[in-house]
Amino acid sequence: MATYVLGISGLYHDAAAVLLKDGCIVAAAQEERFSRLKHDAALPVRAARYCLETAGIQAADLDWLVFYEKPLRKFERILSTAVATFPRSWRSFPRQMHAWLGERLWLRTSLTSAFGVAPDRLLFCEHHLSHAASAFYCSPHENAAVLCVDGVGEWATTSLWRGSGSVLEPVSEVRWPHSIGLFYSAITAHLGFAVNEGEYKVMGMAAYGEPRFREEMDRLLRLDAAGGFSVDLDTFSWHWHPTQAATARLEARLGAGRFPGTPFTPRLAPGSASASEIDASQRHADIARSAQEATEAALLHLVQHAHRTVEADALCLAGGVALNAVANGRIAAEGPHAHLWVQPAAGDAGGAMGAALWAWHAVLGNPRGAPLTTCALGREVGRARTAELLADVGARFEDLGDEAPEAAGVDLAAGKVIAWVEGREEWGPRALGQRSILADPRSAEVRERVNRSVKFREPFRPFAPSVRAGAADRYFDIPAAAAAPSRFMLGTHPVREEAQGTLAAITHVNGTARVQVVDAEASPRFDQLLAGFERESGLPVLLNTSFNLKGEPLVSTPVDALAAFARSDLDTLYVNGFRVERMR
Amino acid sequence: MGLVRRAWLTVASEVAWRIPGRPQRLLAAFALAERGSMLDMLSAVEHTERRELRRRYFRHALDEARHATLFAGRVRALGGVGRAEAALEDSGQLVDAGIVGGQTLFERLGEEEFLSFVYVAEADAVEQFEVYLRRRLPDPETCATLARILKDELFHVSYSRTEVERAAAAGRPMALSMAKHRWRRVWQGWLRFTRDFGARMGGLWLGVAYLTVVAPFRLFARLEPGGWQLPERGGSTLDAARRES
Repeated sequence: MATYVLGISGLYHDAAAVLLKDGCIVAAAQEERFSRLKHDAALPVRAARYCLETAGIQAADLDWLVFYEKPLRKFERILSTAVATFPRSWRSFPRQMHAWLGERLWLRTSLTSAFGVAPDRLLFCEHHLSHAASAFYCSPHENAAVLCVDGVGEWATTSLWRGSGSVLEPVSEVRWPHSIGLFYSAITAHLGFAVNEGEYKVMGMAAYGEPRFREEMDRLLRLDAAGGFSVDLDTFSWHWHPTQAATARLEARLGAGRFPGTPFTPRLAPGSASASEIDASQRHADIARSAQEATEAALLHLVQHAHRTVEADALCLAGGVALNAVANGRIAAEGPHAHLWVQPAAGDAGGAMGAALWAWHAVLGNPRGAPLTTCALGREVGRARTAELLADVGARFEDLGDEAPEAAGVDLAAGKVIAWVEGREEWGPRALGQRSILADPRSAEVRERVNRSVKFREPFRPFAPSVRAGAADRYFDIPAAAAAPSRFMLGTHPVREEAQGTLAAITHVNGTARVQVVDAEASPRFDQLLAGFERESGLPVLLNTSFNLKGEPLVSTPVDALAAFARSDLDTLYVNGFRVERMR
Repeated sequence: MGLVRRAWLTVASEVAWRIPGRPQRLLAAFALAERGSMLDMLSAVEHTERRELRRRYFRHALDEARHATLFAGRVRALGGVGRAEAALEDSGQLVDAGIVGGQTLFERLGEEEFLSFVYVAEADAVEQFEVYLRRRLPDPETCATLARILKDELFHVSYSRTEVERAAAAGRPMALSMAKHRWRRVWQGWLRFTRDFGARMGGLWLGVAYLTVVAPFRLFARLEPGGWQLPERGGSTLDAARRES
């Protein structure tokens, strides 16, 4: 009889479910792909149903259901903080208590009724342990230092672990309210972006700025001689205010925040803005750059400490901050570890995977399994069903079958912007050739078009390239330590100077790109597509961005794909071997 | 019902549209509702067993998406840039407003009930928009947007009515179903009101508890210092794993 373990994350953001069968990942999916609500926090009932269906089992067949947090320990932290920050916490206390007394304190009951498992089958993993397990057990490393950096879990906001075989041993932690993740989120909010969503935009914006607020940032995020850090709790208010992460002191230090939706017109891309608008945008870019550099410095500082403390030549990273691809690039290039591994769903979604893997290895005492080599762990819709849906909604399409990658390569070389939906959807936030928008990487005009009328997003945001494995070194300077993260588009690296002119659409203003190195074995169809484009254009590189519209999660099914296709300026949609032409 | 509702809509619109800042909020709420409706219609495309309806559901979904953008555009034009972005992008707002839940409408209601719900909701929207257009509220540009949207809504009413009539002709109790949906909308409005009221009252009592129960413990509580600390871990035994703390 096989043993089934279902890992669950949720109730904060990015709810997800992951199913293990005898320790092997059978399916992994985020609830947002089913509910179509970006960062959906609800208990991942639909994602779990998908996992069970994939394995062909019922809830009653589950041996264990593992939640990614210890809810009562988190409640203890919330209550203690409310007391410690009295009377400033007067607004947040009623809100928090309302949420906890209404639902979260009764999680055991909610889980048993939502997922149909017996109460004695429920396990609870600690938040940072879930993150650590998600990185370490998926990695190819028998021995590694594991560093988790996020907003907050129960108490820890940063934690260091020693991983050896199937044992994860805690080494040290930095506790709430001192948090690098929340520091970055506070700056994100100051720059007029939504928290948990706009952090990528800050990264993109940073490249337009100069680090002239760096000293201020170093006062806000202080590094200590013991390898740790603390934050300035007089400037930040996330520990006592329900909605504002910073006090008026932040504005006093950095100047007025950016109003949401304000056009961004820094000196490198002024457009037709007035001098005062350019100055305001430039100041915001400088804040972004300063915060990004301070975050990178803090992470390098933590990594150095990890190297001194845990004897291992490999470093595994997880937690939302590990999705900061620019920082990952620097850790790979400048850090002391020979190998870097980052969990592709490093945020809270990945906690579901970690919780399940922890139960399998640490609680049930099973040895390590094979490392994670692909992110194609999500839902797939068969070709027959795809054809039926396409026909029923009145799409004009043709069946190209195995010729689709070749045909897509030809379309791309002809300057078309296409959407590519193939096989099982990706685990994690990055589109890696299963649910991607693809374009010729040579033209800056294409980049502007994709930003403006395909994705409807801010013009300053860069696009990532996908490159065939054998050709990566010709175009990008990828440090040896970043070999693994690059397969999952988790590191930003310099574009070689001689290639920057050619790869205009994917080279950011600072000469870098968040590269995906495509492995033919792990992604054969996507590699074929790249090969098709290479045959037509001589270039084994494509612009690759996630196939979603602004404010929506990655498309999942052919219906989602058709709806996104119909609402954007994409030229062609390829879905499971069918080419769909625009419906005019 | 129709006369009373029209009278209520007329009075309510005269008041609501003229309160400063209110048009922005109302239009953002419309955008949010249209976005939620798009999700329901796409779910119907996925789940329907009547393949001949897929194209209509799909067109309907695209209409709703376009309407959401149009409404958000008006919010933006009236100065509510942040509100417009939130209406189009913030998933939390859809959940908080009760527009989406654990299941889509189609999953919850099934095909016929879903169609009768669509008919009731769309017919109500048409009535509502016609009142606004008659009163020329809140401003000429928004009225032009409403007029554009109304054309689509009339199509939605038309196809859903055809389906409802077809089901009724086949002996299904569609009149009852529609009446149920109308009353459910009223009931849900009441539930929303009581829930908000309950939350406010709960907040009040929790505020009192904060001042009386929490306050004395302030003397003993401290925030954690920064820097690395030794971890407190519960271990990885089965017993420890079963604990929520």
